[in-house]
Amino acid sequence: MSDPLQATLRIAGSGLEAQSVRLRVISENIANAQSTGDTPGADPYTRQTVSFDSVLDRSLGVPLVKIKTIGQDDAPFKVEHDPGNPAADAGGFVKLPNVDMLTELADMREANRTYEANLQVAKQSAELLGQTVNLLKDA
Amino acid sequence: MSQPYVLQLAAQRTQWLSARDVLIAGNIANANTPGYQATDLQPFSAVLDSAEVSMASTNPAHMTPGGDGFAEARVVESDAPETTLSGNSVDIENEMIKLGDVNREYTMATNIKRVIHQMIMSALK
Repeated sequence: MSDPLQATLRIAGSGLEAQSVRLRVISENIANAQSTGDTPGADPYTRQTVSFDSVLDRSLGVPLVKIKTIGQDDAPFKVEHDPGNPAADAGGFVKLPNVDMLTELADMREANRTYEANLQVAKQSAELLGQTVNLLKDA
Repeated sequence: MSQPYVLQLAAQRTQWLSARDVLIAGNIANANTPGYQATDLQPFSAVLDSAEVSMASTNPAHMTPGGDGFAEARVVESDAPETTLSGNSVDIENEMIKLGDVNREYTMATNIKRVIHQMIMSALK
């Protein structure tokens, strides 16, 4: 096993990456919260979901985190009566994305929080490594 | 000349702390991973008391980090206050507190090393 503090940096790095992908997906969802289909009756934007998986890094012997899948939410679409909309079907109903703003915002806060925690871990292990190196300074 | 006991102890302490830091980092990185169980190290005192303990493997996939010092500290599942619906038992606040502990104790141990070193040097110069 290599230096534990460097392993810590790697782990925190994998956490930062995973959470930033999650933030990206959340922003895609929010940006497309009103994106309807192009043709009458077409399906609108489908909410994307992220799932994480813990993988053992064989060279370090530590659990890193990685994105398992970016999947699609199979919740039903919202339907609104809006005959003037270009995406409205014959009956005047428009399918809207299954994105719930409140869920996305809550998810964003959680991703934010975990990102900050990982950042703190990275900062700290860099600091501890620095302290150890500094032992040489007044040797 | 053999290494002074305090220096040895401080070195063991920093090894234990950095091993713990790895586990805390793993817990925090996997704070949103479904089915992930939070882990922690055996307390340092337990490591000191038992002359030789080997890492427990609770899963056939566990690997023993070979070669260096702190394989002796046993990895235990930390006593999580709650497990989420997805089967994740990481409590991020608790992990942050542990991270702060590690930081403080590591600083303490490195400062002890420095002071002991200064004492030796003042005797030599």
